[in-house]
Amino acid sequence: MKEHLIEIWGDVVDSKELLLSIIIITITTMGVYLLSPEASRTTGLFFGLGGAVIGFLITVFLFKPKRKVTQEGEHD
Amino acid sequence: MDILLLIWMIVAALGAVSIYTFIGFIPGTDETSVLLPISLALVLTGVDPMIILSFFIAAIVTLNLTNTMPTALVGLPGGVMSSPMVEHAITIKNQGKSADIIKKMATASALGVIISVPLALLVANILTPFADVITPYTSYIFIGGAIFLSLTGKHKVVALLSIIPLALVFQSLRQLYWGLDVVPSTVNVTISFFLGITVGPLLFSLFELLNSSIYKQFKVDKHKDIIVPKASDESSSLVPTKILSKEEIQHAGIGATISNFFFMLSPVGLTILIGNSIGNRYDDKETKASMSITSMSAIVQATYLSGIIIPLLALGIPLSPVAIGPGAALFNAEPVFSLNNNIHHILSFWQFSFATILGAVIAVVIGYYIINRYARTITTFIMKYIPHESVLGLFIAFIILLAFMDAGLINVFGVLLVGFVSGSFHKLGVNYGVQFMALYAAPYLANLLAGI
Repeated sequence: MKEHLIEIWGDVVDSKELLLSIIIITITTMGVYLLSPEASRTTGLFFGLGGAVIGFLITVFLFKPKRKVTQEGEHD
Repeated sequence: MDILLLIWMIVAALGAVSIYTFIGFIPGTDETSVLLPISLALVLTGVDPMIILSFFIAAIVTLNLTNTMPTALVGLPGGVMSSPMVEHAITIKNQGKSADIIKKMATASALGVIISVPLALLVANILTPFADVITPYTSYIFIGGAIFLSLTGKHKVVALLSIIPLALVFQSLRQLYWGLDVVPSTVNVTISFFLGITVGPLLFSLFELLNSSIYKQFKVDKHKDIIVPKASDESSSLVPTKILSKEEIQHAGIGATISNFFFMLSPVGLTILIGNSIGNRYDDKETKASMSITSMSAIVQATYLSGIIIPLLALGIPLSPVAIGPGAALFNAEPVFSLNNNIHHILSFWQFSFATILGAVIAVVIGYYIINRYARTITTFIMKYIPHESVLGLFIAFIILLAFMDAGLINVFGVLLVGFVSGSFHKLGVNYGVQFMALYAAPYLANLLAGI
């Protein structure tokens, strides 16, 4: 797949994957938030943060970091 | 004191240490964006303020300690506060001494905590009698603070000029929400505006990506090279005096002590100012980098701890960039805390000190151990498996969530506007501190201008 690499905030990302990550995490965050049973602010916030963690994990599994990690001393 | 309460305080501090150890190691996790939502969630549960305080102190100590690790090991700043260290970290990395320097940084950081907690409590205690004198002038103090931070920043004129327009943006959104009955007129939408300011620069960059000609400037053609340094061959002693030289201990100690008295200044600014003035006393490039980075590690802790402890204990008004940004939920989180009823009003001096010391001690002990033993392993893991895309996506989701919770869908776009305006001012050199002060001064400034 063709990569669309950009450098933003000190690190390299793929712009398509960045857009997808924002969409996925926003959907899980707001989705789980809207599922929260009571109208209380606290429960809502906890549900929302939980949804954010779920979305974060999904994108961690879907996308690979755009970094080439080598250990010093190892042959490249 | 109740044993159950003590257990919960310890649990909260341990929770903070585990959450923020992980977050701290992830590069680019802005302190305010990661401290505010979670501490706000805890405050809103209505648990005992002592539990909240232990959690928060443990969180900032851990975050400041772990943020320096990706900085030292791979040259990517863990958060805003470690960005001044990048330059020195790269010098040391090029000399192949990263493994030694992380121990020095962790030790200096712990030293910073040990010095600044008691000192900040003492300064706060001295200032407390003046609280009643100062409180009626809160609005003037915020305006004064905005002007003061503008004048101490790098780009003075643009910062000064930004104060009133920024205040008008905040206040006009609030008036709009009141006018449309989105929120009752007793509610001042604040928390989501804070985060809007914090993620402003990121939002602004994302907007820029949507313009195809600016997009080209962001383009790169290869992955980021990350070289994780070798482990130290030397003995892995954990005794602080074996890790830091006498000179380094002195510099870190002096740096941390001085920073405590300037709690109302920008923590990043102070770290750069004091850290570099210590480093600049050395001509040798390597010694200079090592002295700067160890003293900065201590100063970062001192600026954060004094920035939250002094205003919270002495005044109950968020009068420092730390209190007004990452610590905002401890001062103002309706319906639990307000500026007239928060931790300052609820806890006694001894309760406050106990919770603070407990949180700090737990975080320092565990953090120090983890860093000395596992800093390389954790950094390598994060570099290999946690994409930057996920981190940026998480920030955007946080801001949408809090914006929606504050005042519904309309506020998601309201916060987008706040982020865009703040981000463009930030790009022009107006620092966060000025913008946060403008947010607090907004109601008074708007009324003042309308009345002239």
